[in-house]
Amino acid sequence: MTALLRILGLWRRRILWLVAGLLVSLLAVAAGVGVMTIAGRMIGVAFATGVLAAPVALDAFGVGRVVLRYTERLVTHGATFRALADLRVWFFRGLSRSAAGGLGFRQAGDVLARLVGDVEALDGLYLRIVLPLAGAVLLLPGLVVLLRAQGWLVAAAVGVLFAFAAFVLPRLAAATAAGSGDRLARTAGSLRITAVDALTGLREVRAFGAEGRMLAAVQSREAALLAAQHELARRTALAGVGALLCGQAAVLAVLAGAGAAPVGAVPGVFLVIAAFELAGGLPRAGVLAGHAAAAAQRVLEAAEATAPVPDPPAPARMPAGASLRFDSVHFRWRADHPPVFDGLTLEVPEEARVGILGPSGSGKSTLAALALKLAAPQQGRVLLGGTDLALLPAVGARSRIGWLGQATHLFDDTIRRNLLLARPEADDAALWAALEAARIAEMVRTLPNGLDTWVGEGGARFSGGQGRRLALARALLTQAPLLILDEPCAGLDAETEREFLSTLNDVAKGRTLVLIVHRLTGVERLDRIWRLSGGHAVAAAG
Amino acid sequence: MASAERHEKAADTRAAAKAWLRQETRLGSHAARPVVVLSFAAACTAIAQAYCVAAVLAAALTGRGRAVPPLVLFALLALVRAALSWAAELRATRAGAASRRRLRSEVMTRLLHAGPGLLRERHSGELAATVVDRVEALDGLYARWIPASTLAVLVPIVVGLAALAADPVAAGVLLLCGLLVPIGMATAGLGAAAASRRQFLALARLQARFLDRVRGVATIVLYGRAADEAAALARAADELRRRTMRVLRVAFLSSAVLDLAGAAALVILAVRYGLMIVQHRLNSPTAALFALLLVPEFFGPLRGFAAAYQDHLHATGAADEIMRLPPAAAPIPPPAREVRTVPAHGVTVAFDDVRLTWDTARGPALDGLSFRVPAGETLVLAGPSGAGKSSVIEILLGFVRPDSGRVTVNGADIADLVPEALSRLTAWIGQRPVLFAGTIRENIRFARPEAGQDQVEEAARAARVVEFAAGLPDGLDTPVGEGGYGLSGGQAQRVAIARAFLKNAPLLLLDEPTAHLDPTTEAEVLDSLRRLALGRTVILASHSSAAHAFAGRRVDLRDGRAVPVRVSA
Repeated sequence: MTALLRILGLWRRRILWLVAGLLVSLLAVAAGVGVMTIAGRMIGVAFATGVLAAPVALDAFGVGRVVLRYTERLVTHGATFRALADLRVWFFRGLSRSAAGGLGFRQAGDVLARLVGDVEALDGLYLRIVLPLAGAVLLLPGLVVLLRAQGWLVAAAVGVLFAFAAFVLPRLAAATAAGSGDRLARTAGSLRITAVDALTGLREVRAFGAEGRMLAAVQSREAALLAAQHELARRTALAGVGALLCGQAAVLAVLAGAGAAPVGAVPGVFLVIAAFELAGGLPRAGVLAGHAAAAAQRVLEAAEATAPVPDPPAPARMPAGASLRFDSVHFRWRADHPPVFDGLTLEVPEEARVGILGPSGSGKSTLAALALKLAAPQQGRVLLGGTDLALLPAVGARSRIGWLGQATHLFDDTIRRNLLLARPEADDAALWAALEAARIAEMVRTLPNGLDTWVGEGGARFSGGQGRRLALARALLTQAPLLILDEPCAGLDAETEREFLSTLNDVAKGRTLVLIVHRLTGVERLDRIWRLSGGHAVAAAG
Repeated sequence: MASAERHEKAADTRAAAKAWLRQETRLGSHAARPVVVLSFAAACTAIAQAYCVAAVLAAALTGRGRAVPPLVLFALLALVRAALSWAAELRATRAGAASRRRLRSEVMTRLLHAGPGLLRERHSGELAATVVDRVEALDGLYARWIPASTLAVLVPIVVGLAALAADPVAAGVLLLCGLLVPIGMATAGLGAAAASRRQFLALARLQARFLDRVRGVATIVLYGRAADEAAALARAADELRRRTMRVLRVAFLSSAVLDLAGAAALVILAVRYGLMIVQHRLNSPTAALFALLLVPEFFGPLRGFAAAYQDHLHATGAADEIMRLPPAAAPIPPPAREVRTVPAHGVTVAFDDVRLTWDTARGPALDGLSFRVPAGETLVLAGPSGAGKSSVIEILLGFVRPDSGRVTVNGADIADLVPEALSRLTAWIGQRPVLFAGTIRENIRFARPEAGQDQVEEAARAARVVEFAAGLPDGLDTPVGEGGYGLSGGQAQRVAIARAFLKNAPLLLLDEPTAHLDPTTEAEVLDSLRRLALGRTVILASHSSAAHAFAGRRVDLRDGRAVPVRVSA
């Protein structure tokens, strides 16, 4: 619950809107209950005294209720939109500080998607949890005060029943939801993994004739998820029935005391019915709150995780050069993982073209992560332009490096805007030059909308190879003096690969170039070649 | 694609989605019948309870003291109503679950039958999202929207009839106010439906943008654009809010009409009965109170219907996605002449004037290809990428059928083989084997689930999986794949080779098996592959040094045609 309060704390800036929404909402609740109560009172009083009491008030409350409900919807939705925009921006800022090295760099797209789902789970926090709960807090004393004419016993009984339905049952529902959240997430995750496996491995599935087995696997994971959902639904329904019975018992209490105080009994019954209509929805709000609390915890953890490599308190001046040097670097991603580098020493001189070879898993991508300050060596130093990276601000170091990684993301935007990410002020000529160099300009020219073609989610409108080449064009567009290209030829056929490598020299003129590849084709003009193996780098022929 | 054509296609999908939703709604209505019956019974109980309350209050007001029978009846009915609502809610959950189960199996079957060709156009993650999330999003359609749309008609009718029995004027008031709801909804702009559809779409778009930016957060940070993107995200959200609120101002009018109708009915009836009491014209206070208490019961289901509209919108979005899936699987083609083979004698494969075109814009992939591989021999398919090597392998695996020509295995056309028979004949190793979430042992056993423990270990030894597995925390029982231990490309390829050893099929298809390996690992993997190839018919597609590792006939492919070069030792 503290996590939820922290999330609410993020909305301080919107406090005026949120409070305004809360006030209008409370007034609307009061008006709604008021209409019912005054209508009941009119009948009761007319019977007792023969006078038509407060018809004007009834009209006023009736009209007021409609107007207030409309205003409430507008104000609270406006406030919610503002609050959830704030939450998203805050989350994105936090994540960009903390997760670039961990989650984003190592292709954990589904983890990130799950976190986005968690942020979405917080959307209903204000509208569906805070507001109804505040309404119930207002109604409880109102109920007791208005019912005191029916005798304190009736008033107390209704008060206790209302408190139970509005606060205790939702609380229990929240606890159940929070408890089952784990099981739901686990079973849903296992269903997703099985589905992704079966679909990614469609070739294997067909080659081994495993369609039936895969369908059965998906069905059995689904059965586990449905069982978990059913369990939660059963308990939620129980809480809902509990709230319903509380309402019925409260009506019964007023009815039982009706003989003693008949005039107040009619508005009393109407009041209780209206109040419990609101309380009836609260157990469901409790379930939401239980989910939201768990989501809030995860969102806070992700957004407030410490940066993988904190910046030095007093950063050194950025060096002029763009050489790169690894000096007996020891590194492992996690303490319980085997070391990736075990005394790695490797040099990339200024304006040199260097190839780095190595089997997959030998740490080629880790090399890039260290250079980009996404990770820091446990021992040894990485030097950029002769200055220890540990002394430089991460933003400064990254601005010197143009990087094409395995997990480089294409945004669901136009080709132009994807490219401009690398250099916002670039003109069309520069964009075409980069596309030309990446051997993709010809394809882009055939598109009816050219640079303004939408690339689709994750570059889905293009083939994998074309997507990689767009990402390559983006990397080439940067004016960074040091280019690190991780498998730039993936997705190219042999002929195009040769062409690309021979023009790479022009593109990289005056820049330092690090080419990370799994094999050499022999046409690269390289000054030096390093081979990674066993956590060391060995100079190979160059 | 021309934009007009794209619009047409989108319109087609939407129309198809609508038709599909109608059909699903019919199916769902059947499943929802118990929910409707139970909820309807609960509503009838509520009407009876309202009468009891009216009777007790009327007795008190007219000085007849406490009316015990209706009081007791009220309490009993409360228990009945609670039981009915409990059962209705559980039934609704069950209807939603059953429909999702049916739909998910259907979607998954369609995807599995469409086969590997699907991955040429769609990303597996996106397809999995359809199987998991889109089907989940349909829950509200079955569990809430379908029952609510029936109840919104049935319950007001019964409440109206009850009111008619108590006071015809009250029934008239309810009817008029009730009619106000659809009329008001229709006149408030183009209705709530269009407006909230737009709000829903706008929100979905914001969420998609947010997810996209979060997925690419590393790229954004490394280009130093985090602050700009955060600002852009805020701007997009603000812009969205402005536009959405403009729409909502109208959309909420229709909700206001519902509120107005409810309040008007209550006020009119209260004033009517108040005046009648004052003027001593009221004969039955019970009837008056009963009519008043029926007002919330009349409008409750209408409100529930409005609330469930959101569920309907979610379903519409999901239906669009499901419509984009390949059509339902065709029934398995009948007469299948199975080829019986003895592994020792191997199989003979022949292509005779085979043509295949994936995409007319890019020309034929195979353009009259013919060759023959005798049993137990090796054929190396060489040539640049795009020459048609993979197409040959994919035809033999049954991933795709040739447009014309004959492909025979031991003389039998593979078009006549059922997929199971073909899969029994072939073992396949591609460029990047997929490892499923599970242990290494389970991944090997995938090739032949009925294999014994010792056979699996034998295959692991033959493929040299045992060697690297010894260095892993749990040996062959180390989990790999999603959430497990990451294997290198060479190690994964060894697991694939172990699968092929375990399967022990007479025809071995190798599609660039070392394309993504470094030279040292490549040499080791080729060594294992040569041992696997002993005594089998092998077709190897490769444009690299892998080709030289295998002795055998070599066919150079150029633009889908064969250029035989030489026969090496």
